[in-house]
Amino acid sequence: MTGFARRLAGKLLAGLVMVWVVVTFTFFLVHALPGKPGDVQYEQYIMQGLTPDQAQAKVASIYGFTSHDSLFAQYAGYLGKLVRGDLGESISYSGVPVSHLIWSALPWTVIPVLSGLLVSFLIGVVAGVVAAVKRSSRWGGLLSVSGSLVAGVPSFVLALLLLLVFHTEWNLLPDAGTSDITTEPGWNPDYIGSVVQHAVLPVCSYALLSYGGWLLAMKSSVVTVLGDDFILASELRGIAPVTRARYIGRNAILPLFTVLALSFGIMFAGSFFIEDTFDYPGLGNLLLKSIGTRDYPVMAGAFLLITVAIIAANILADLCYTLIDPRVRR
Amino acid sequence: MAATAALATAVRNRRPAFLAFRRAVLRKPSRIVGFAIIVFFTLMGICGPWFYGTLAVDPNAIYAPPSADHWLGTDFAGSDVFQEVVVGARYVLSTAALAALFTSFFGITVGLVAGYHRGFVDSALMRVTDFVLTIPGLPLLIILSTVWSFGSPWQMGLVLGLTGWGGVARAVRSQALSLRERGFLEAARGLGLPSRHIIVKELLPNIAPYVAMHLLLSVIGFIGAEVGLFFLGLVPFSSTNWGVMLNQAVFSGGAMNSPDALVYLLAPLVCILLLTLGIVLFLDAVDELFNPRLRERA
Amino acid sequence: MSRQKTLAAAVAAAVALTALSACSSSSSKKSNGGTSSGGAKDGGVYTSIDANNQITAGAPMNPFNAAPNMFLGYNQMSLGFDKKNPSDPNDFFPGLAASWTASDAGLTVQLQPNAKWSDGTPVTAADIKTSLAIAYTQGTAGPAAGNFEISDVKDLGGGKVEIDEVPGVKNLYFQRLVLSATIVNDKVYSGQLPADVWTTIAAAQGSDAAAAKSAADKLTAAGKPIAAFAPAKDISAGPFVLTRVGPGEALLDRNPNFFAVSKVSPKQVILRHYSGNQQIWGYMNNGELDSAPYTAMPTNILDQVLKAGYTRVDAPSYVSASIAFNEKQAPYDKTAVRQALAYVIDREAVTKVGEPVGGMTTPYTTGLIHSQTDTFLSDDQKAALNAYKPDTAKAATLLQGAGFTKDGSGQWHLPDGTQWTITLQTVNGFSDWISASTIVANELTAFGIKTTPAVTADFATYQKEMAAGKYAVGWWLVALGPQTDKAYNRIYGSADGYTVKNGQATHSDTSPANWQHTPATYTVNGQSIDPGQLTAQLSVTPVSDQKPIIAQLAAATNQELPMIQIWDYTKVGFYNEKHFTNFPKSGQDALLLNPPGVWMMQGFVQAK
Repeated sequence: MTGFARRLAGKLLAGLVMVWVVVTFTFFLVHALPGKPGDVQYEQYIMQGLTPDQAQAKVASIYGFTSHDSLFAQYAGYLGKLVRGDLGESISYSGVPVSHLIWSALPWTVIPVLSGLLVSFLIGVVAGVVAAVKRSSRWGGLLSVSGSLVAGVPSFVLALLLLLVFHTEWNLLPDAGTSDITTEPGWNPDYIGSVVQHAVLPVCSYALLSYGGWLLAMKSSVVTVLGDDFILASELRGIAPVTRARYIGRNAILPLFTVLALSFGIMFAGSFFIEDTFDYPGLGNLLLKSIGTRDYPVMAGAFLLITVAIIAANILADLCYTLIDPRVRR
Repeated sequence: MAATAALATAVRNRRPAFLAFRRAVLRKPSRIVGFAIIVFFTLMGICGPWFYGTLAVDPNAIYAPPSADHWLGTDFAGSDVFQEVVVGARYVLSTAALAALFTSFFGITVGLVAGYHRGFVDSALMRVTDFVLTIPGLPLLIILSTVWSFGSPWQMGLVLGLTGWGGVARAVRSQALSLRERGFLEAARGLGLPSRHIIVKELLPNIAPYVAMHLLLSVIGFIGAEVGLFFLGLVPFSSTNWGVMLNQAVFSGGAMNSPDALVYLLAPLVCILLLTLGIVLFLDAVDELFNPRLRERA
Repeated sequence: MSRQKTLAAAVAAAVALTALSACSSSSSKKSNGGTSSGGAKDGGVYTSIDANNQITAGAPMNPFNAAPNMFLGYNQMSLGFDKKNPSDPNDFFPGLAASWTASDAGLTVQLQPNAKWSDGTPVTAADIKTSLAIAYTQGTAGPAAGNFEISDVKDLGGGKVEIDEVPGVKNLYFQRLVLSATIVNDKVYSGQLPADVWTTIAAAQGSDAAAAKSAADKLTAAGKPIAAFAPAKDISAGPFVLTRVGPGEALLDRNPNFFAVSKVSPKQVILRHYSGNQQIWGYMNNGELDSAPYTAMPTNILDQVLKAGYTRVDAPSYVSASIAFNEKQAPYDKTAVRQALAYVIDREAVTKVGEPVGGMTTPYTTGLIHSQTDTFLSDDQKAALNAYKPDTAKAATLLQGAGFTKDGSGQWHLPDGTQWTITLQTVNGFSDWISASTIVANELTAFGIKTTPAVTADFATYQKEMAAGKYAVGWWLVALGPQTDKAYNRIYGSADGYTVKNGQATHSDTSPANWQHTPATYTVNGQSIDPGQLTAQLSVTPVSDQKPIIAQLAAATNQELPMIQIWDYTKVGFYNEKHFTNFPKSGQDALLLNPPGVWMMQGFVQAK
């Protein structure tokens, strides 16, 4: 198991280096953005009838969180704080810690993404096996095409279509938000029911988004395993079908761990399309809003967290793969 | 072995390649449909703007329903939605094509150099590739959209290509690694041919079909990404395209609430779906062409 | 405005949500129980949207934050509420102040006899004093031009409070600025202020320039912690008190201690979050809102909303959309060119496409909205204005007179022979401008000037690039009233190189903010005028004496067209009588220009 530990350490180190590169990259990128956070607000004050001087003073006071240090000093300070888990303070919310905003948004992305992943895994794997076994029949072909199609269609197209059918046409499900405000948040059936109801469409979108990946991977994997020599050999040697099914299952499911990381990445990175369409207050939405308000610290923080999530998913998938496939472990 | 040999001959001799291609496409009706869809949209992208140069506006026929004059009705300015879809195809498709071009350029270069040279160059290039693969492309694009204005197909294509070459590079590298040990390359090296010659003349032709498949897949992603950026209103635009149409339909036409603007929303949406379907169906043929093992089994 | 993705953000908060509910759930139950016997008629839940404040779960309940969970007229109060009366800037609805009288010293305010905070304690002079001190730290009060300056706040007893203006300063708008200042609870906020804040304020207003500067900086520094301050619970002097904020909605309960609680019918208010106009349309389509604020909408949506049972109410909006020019860039330095373009653009058609419901084609470009033009100009003066009715022949004559030529294919060429093309700049998110640009471009192109609309990524960049002189022709909001000096300051102000101090304007063509570059003087009716100086003069002239100045400015603007006004915005609101009746109707402008919380204070909105 020391080999495993070393592998884990290596992966983590590589991940950390990657995170550092991303932090550096985003820090300088985000600071290259044109327009100051206060500019937008300034114009709104002017439109509300304040004189330029008044508006200037008000903006200076509200957006006083913009730093005046040199870029490198800011970078060093940012890194130093980051190590302590401090992502800085939001500009557009006058000083609310970025980590507070991000932690608030995180569950609304992670939980739907994971639920969507689970749903699509169950459906996708079953459909994949069917598609593999029936690959020469019409239904098998149709299943495969459905997988590729759904995998290819942009997420916002899926989300818009779902919204159109289930909200506009049938009005079965709410179109925005996470719950009904009249329900008291907490562990009570009304609130949870409302949250679930509001989460159905986003979760379905996430599920559709990754369903194709599972299906196609499972199908090709099963097809490959079916043709493997050891399966043929076991068949010839008359090994019990149950045992053979276990062989096939164990070997066919292996490549899916790469798909897991891939799906997670796609869903996390594409979350803003879905969250924007359903006005769902997750990380992607936070990133979009912060770009609109030029809230650099929030922007960098949200982007960083999305990247970290993807790196973590990659490492996790890799480790699972190692644990299950002894060939890689060596 | 047989696969590579078939592949190599297929590429070396143009005619058999064409014949094999035709055979593969004609084998299933779904592939013909897919191919037809791709050809249809390609023609639309090339010729569309010739038919409808500038879109006429008519403030007295805003969101008119479909009619003989306006097959798909009109939009917020009274312009014909059908014409708009046709005209808007060029931006979407040319951007996707350019993005594919840039992707293959970066991907093949990095992949071939890494796979051929191995050692330090390989590991350095692969670290960069890992980075490109890991960094979430779409969020990066929306941040980039505020730094650079990539409204023109060239700029948009370049940005999409820059964020999307990782997969191709990796695939090309692994192909190059396995091809490297093949006899004909050993022979070329034994003859003392320069690496550049080996890479360009020997490796590249053998990898091309593999890349083509990857590219078709990534084109779907590129279309989704570019249209999505316009849909969210993140990229300034100067002419209409499908993403702009979606944005206008949802955010100023109220297509989600009003049946009047629904066609305006559905027209580009259906085009995206159709094009995706076309590529997916057609990919099946390409897949078979380059993996003849599939044909044996099917 | 009609930006489809408004910039203020809503941030989800599972964590904050539970935290908020943990500390507010008990108060919610209490106030629910308390009000059931109190109100006029138990009205149930009133659902609406605060157009100026998208809900932000997790943001502080502090009106001085940039994105607070405070809602004007509901749980955020001022001494009065602006009626936005163009002929009397000091015309206010009573708020926490029942009445007020202006005096030489400043303003004496009589607080509402029953004015109380939601915790049951009375509203006092200390609250007013703290709130006005905070206004200094937030830049809304202080010596900067146009801001009000206070020397002291005195408690005269019996709910009478005297707000003294610094001797020697005569601010025309002192009264309205004091009345509209946000009033917060002294007990909650005074701890956030430095103890010597009034000494610093005095220094900032002193004659010693260096000391004033350092005092002003000190005040600004003191403002930061106040902006970020997050009180644990909402203590409101308004008709409602905030109970809970979720990612999608805010829930407010009726404040049983509100001074006019008997007039307030709704028991609860739900304010919904929205990320774009299309969401508000969706809510209205389903009849989910009792009243809805102004949103730009197309005609098809208007029809649908009316069908869903809503009644439309219109109120004037003191803002107008225009196409502005950078006169440093040829050929827009020529008056004839700008006039020719005005003749080519069919403003009716443009309005129909850009702002079909909430827009009204501006009859005359004067720098003011049409109703103000009507108020301030005599019939003769109006008759002398040019409406620039669409007339391509006139445009062609004007251009030919300026040395422009038309080639065989119908394209116009500049006097130097190059083909004339226009890039019409708009900004992302302003969907009405973008839609309108397509049709303006179409009209100009048909006339022979190839025009392409271009969209800038966001408003911040737009402003920056506009100020940097990068756009020759672009959309711009003007006629920002109701005060006419503000409206003209928008045109002949900092964007045109003018700096105003005490009614005197200084002009600098090279000032970094100057992108309009109009000439420093215009010759109108044979008379030479300085529009910047006239505008500065307007800011120190009482409304009753403004007419002659406005007549000059309107005539100059109409002739010289530093921008072409396209449409005046109308504030189109909606209400649905499903649950409540007695909404303010069209014509009750003063009410309609205030949030529903103010209607309720006045006894409007009663349960059915």
